[in-house]
Amino acid sequence: MKVCVLYSGGKDSNLALLKASREFKVACLVTLIPKSEESYLFHYPAVDLVELQARALKLPLVKELSPDDEEGGLAALRRVLAKAKKIYGVEGVVTGAIRSTYQASRFQRVCWDLGLWCFNPLWLGDELSLLREIVSSGFKVIFTRVAGYPLKKSLLGRVIDEKTVEFLGRIRRYVNPSGEGGEYETFVLDMPLFTRRIEIIDYEVLGVDYDATLVVKKARLVEK
Amino acid sequence: MILLVSTCKYRLSEEEFVKPVARIVEESGYKHVLRRYYEETEFSQYDKIVICGTALKDFEYLKYLSNFEKLLDYRGKVLGICAGCHILAKIYGNSLEELKKIGVYRVKLLKANPLTSMSEFNAYFLHIYSLSKVNDKLEPLALQENEVCLFKVKEKDFYGVSFHPEVLNRDIIENFLKL
Repeated sequence: MKVCVLYSGGKDSNLALLKASREFKVACLVTLIPKSEESYLFHYPAVDLVELQARALKLPLVKELSPDDEEGGLAALRRVLAKAKKIYGVEGVVTGAIRSTYQASRFQRVCWDLGLWCFNPLWLGDELSLLREIVSSGFKVIFTRVAGYPLKKSLLGRVIDEKTVEFLGRIRRYVNPSGEGGEYETFVLDMPLFTRRIEIIDYEVLGVDYDATLVVKKARLVEK
Repeated sequence: MILLVSTCKYRLSEEEFVKPVARIVEESGYKHVLRRYYEETEFSQYDKIVICGTALKDFEYLKYLSNFEKLLDYRGKVLGICAGCHILAKIYGNSLEELKKIGVYRVKLLKANPLTSMSEFNAYFLHIYSLSKVNDKLEPLALQENEVCLFKVKEKDFYGVSFHPEVLNRDIIENFLKL
């Protein structure tokens, strides 16, 4: 089966991609670019860099601008998946949804309406186990946004390693360890399917402790 | 030993529909074995069986109903989740109707039972077919509007649940394991 992966560039969509690639041919990535951070359904930060990741993966990227409101976001999702189906002949969609029934049920409905299979390989996974899988699989993932106590600005740019996973486990009463509620966002610089890794050349940190974003100004692909 | 039966055509769907149930079984202190819908299985080796659900577009398991007809003579306990619920309903002579239900819906209990005693609760549904009525072999235990979403096979410890208890109602699975 040919599938597309709903891709934000963060750790979850990349892990879902890795799992999907073991069984199916991944024909393309699809990404929605929200007009602002207010989007209900999709991750915002670092989405501009997704094109660089798609090049590292040697996969085509199907993009669509998504309005902020719920209905507009759903319509954009429908358009982008219809495009992937038409251009690349995909029969299924893979997402990185973990626990949000709100997110998962909307993906399921749109996929059904378009005649597409829907796969959520991280669904109900233990968040810390998924993070450990990411680390042990050789992903290089950095924090690009923190949004809530006790996530300090100094976390931005830090690579998620075993110590970070332990830290997220210790603070799980404040923060969902997977960040699925928007408590933090991540960006994948390297993972097993990348043919080249991403190097950040210039960046800026905006905001204060518990509400800060790492804005990548310049990045490039380099040999692994 | 608990037998988990996968109804998934694709292994990737098992990550979504079998693995979460397996985790609940493990966390409840039980060991489990996984078999797939297309395999002929000697059910009598196991004390309890959980038949898991599958993807919305997956109906492949319905071609293998004959593999499940042996359950009619099985004396242990069975929990059928979504596709598993459909299998139980079908082998006991019931018909499914097309009724798409995706998302969280309110369930109303008709009768207290060993799996749940809450009079109302939210549950996550993900199905295209459902049961609006059941024959005299099955006893309805809960409704979601007109859908029979929880039933018991009369004179057996077989339960069918059309929603996915692993998502919002893991106590239903835990209570089944304690039976």
